[in-house]
Amino acid sequence: MPEPFIDRRTALATAGLTAAGLVAAPYVRGGAGGPSPVFVAKGQRYDGDLVKTLRDGLEATGFVGESFRGKRVLLKPNLVEPCRERPHMTTHPAVVIAAAEVFRGWGASVTVGEAPGHVRDTEQALMDSGVGEALADAGLPFADLNYEEVAWRRNRGRVSPLRGIYFPRSILEADLVVSMPKMKTHHWVGVTCGMKNLYGTLPGIAYGWPKNVLHHNGIPQTVADITATLPRVAVIVDGIHCMEGDGPILGTMKPMGLLAVGADVPAVDATIARIMGLDPAKVEYLALARRRLGEIDDARIVQRGEAWQPLTDPFHILDEPHLQKLIAVT
Amino acid sequence: MLTLARSGRRSLAGSLSAPSSPRNELTQQLADQLAAITPGGYHPGAPAAAEPTAWATMALIHTGNLAAAEKGCRWLADVQARDGSVGVSRSQPSPAWTTGLAVLAWVRWNAAAGERRYDDRISRALEWALATRGRTAEQKPQIGHDTTLVGWSWATKTHSWLEPTAIFVRALCEAGMADHPRTREGIRLLVDRLLPTGGANYGNTRVLQQWLLPHVQPSGLAMWALAGCGVDDERIALSLNYLNEQLNEPLAPASLAYACLGLAAHAVTPPSARPALAEAAGKQATQESTYKLALVTLALGSEDATETAEPKGVST
Repeated sequence: MPEPFIDRRTALATAGLTAAGLVAAPYVRGGAGGPSPVFVAKGQRYDGDLVKTLRDGLEATGFVGESFRGKRVLLKPNLVEPCRERPHMTTHPAVVIAAAEVFRGWGASVTVGEAPGHVRDTEQALMDSGVGEALADAGLPFADLNYEEVAWRRNRGRVSPLRGIYFPRSILEADLVVSMPKMKTHHWVGVTCGMKNLYGTLPGIAYGWPKNVLHHNGIPQTVADITATLPRVAVIVDGIHCMEGDGPILGTMKPMGLLAVGADVPAVDATIARIMGLDPAKVEYLALARRRLGEIDDARIVQRGEAWQPLTDPFHILDEPHLQKLIAVT
Repeated sequence: MLTLARSGRRSLAGSLSAPSSPRNELTQQLADQLAAITPGGYHPGAPAAAEPTAWATMALIHTGNLAAAEKGCRWLADVQARDGSVGVSRSQPSPAWTTGLAVLAWVRWNAAAGERRYDDRISRALEWALATRGRTAEQKPQIGHDTTLVGWSWATKTHSWLEPTAIFVRALCEAGMADHPRTREGIRLLVDRLLPTGGANYGNTRVLQQWLLPHVQPSGLAMWALAGCGVDDERIALSLNYLNEQLNEPLAPASLAYACLGLAAHAVTPPSARPALAEAAGKQATQESTYKLALVTLALGSEDATETAEPKGVST
């Protein structure tokens, strides 16, 4: 069947670069063509030993610690519209700090960076999320991706009409970008996780607050394009206190106690969607990513840590037709 | 070519120079620091950008530092494109939502200096602004705000949003075009985007039947823009109350400054504003950022001017 969105040349180039977990190469052990490993840990708490869990998860999904010596790692939490009364909206500071400790322990230079999607005052976002104070305590630098110098890169996904994408300097200079989403429902696309969180790598100064240029070019399409165009990406999901219902901002807290890790971002997202009771093949941006940017078929994902099936606990989904159709049929 | 009135129709806090007094010694001291980093950027050491430079220029004009302010005006003129737009930075001519801020800087400089040096710049920028329209959309039940109103967008070919519309409304008003149909429609858009309990989100009001959360920065900017526009709507008082209450919460320097600018534009000067601004001004991160230092200096200057003129509390 012909690919409806991607021309042959782009499809070949994209497949060669990003299929099956190669996005994070050369920091990941394993080759192309095999199943993508996804690590899930249960029973996690923000005051627990998150460093050990994340280190175990990264190693279990093929990350080679010694390969990070002298490399630059950028951790990208989700601080879309922080609110002190809704801490389950944003990535918890404890997870960010634990991830930083793992990569620092491997000899990497770690920066935390974010371009909050709705809030133009990034310092306020850092205060309201608690991430700013945590970074100060840990001596971690922060990159305000909304206002950095930008550079244009050709759109390697070519799913949306965008010819190219502007990225901030810190994103382009990083050897690895780690998407650190919150596990949440999303009232337009169903689920927001590793791929959708990458919207926050794009500068508001070029795309606005919200990044309306992306909306006008199609949310699922631009999510796929950003994932395809970023050079090297991995994902660590904060699934300890999650959001269900009217996510990604106004939903209610759902405790799950999970952390998920992987180098194949669509594979991690697909696993999270399954745990939430959604069918990843029906989530449009995951369907676009399938086999081009990573794996979403369960048969092509190998679970490390916990199997996803016993963890499944369907999230409340708004009673809207475009969302209800995403629910997995069992 | 647009013909400009000799001066804007309004003289509001944020566009007036306060007489020198012990009260504004801090403001003057900050203005001296600001002069040294204008034109400048958002963060320490960052390249100059239009928004920080325009706010810095306004702060310097407000504090009577016209020579330093002219450096900002000249930098903005230098990055103005042939079509009249002023992009977000020298290397990024698009998007150009910053054009309205450049207009404000030039209009205020002309007024303070008693000259018409930047008339041509202003005229070209306003022509561009009036030719620029945010995209409209059919009303849908999922979206609560009026999507048919035309304001200004962050980037070309996208929807109108609250903050860029606030900037252009204020620019048009101060350029003497308060009665222009685009200005009036922009004002209607700003009022439409206010939340029923006061304050504004980044732009939406209600999505999928849920009211969104107010935030300080867009609320402050909306109040700053709507002052003197003759809006009779209870959400104005509610929004001022919201901003006043937020002054008791931890606020970053920029949000704090926008809150104070919004309040001062309505002649509201809560007692907590000045100490909070002074504390924000004392932070190293504020002093090294042209953007933050400009906003805090301008907000303090507005407090000086408003307190000198007519102190008021919040009433509903």
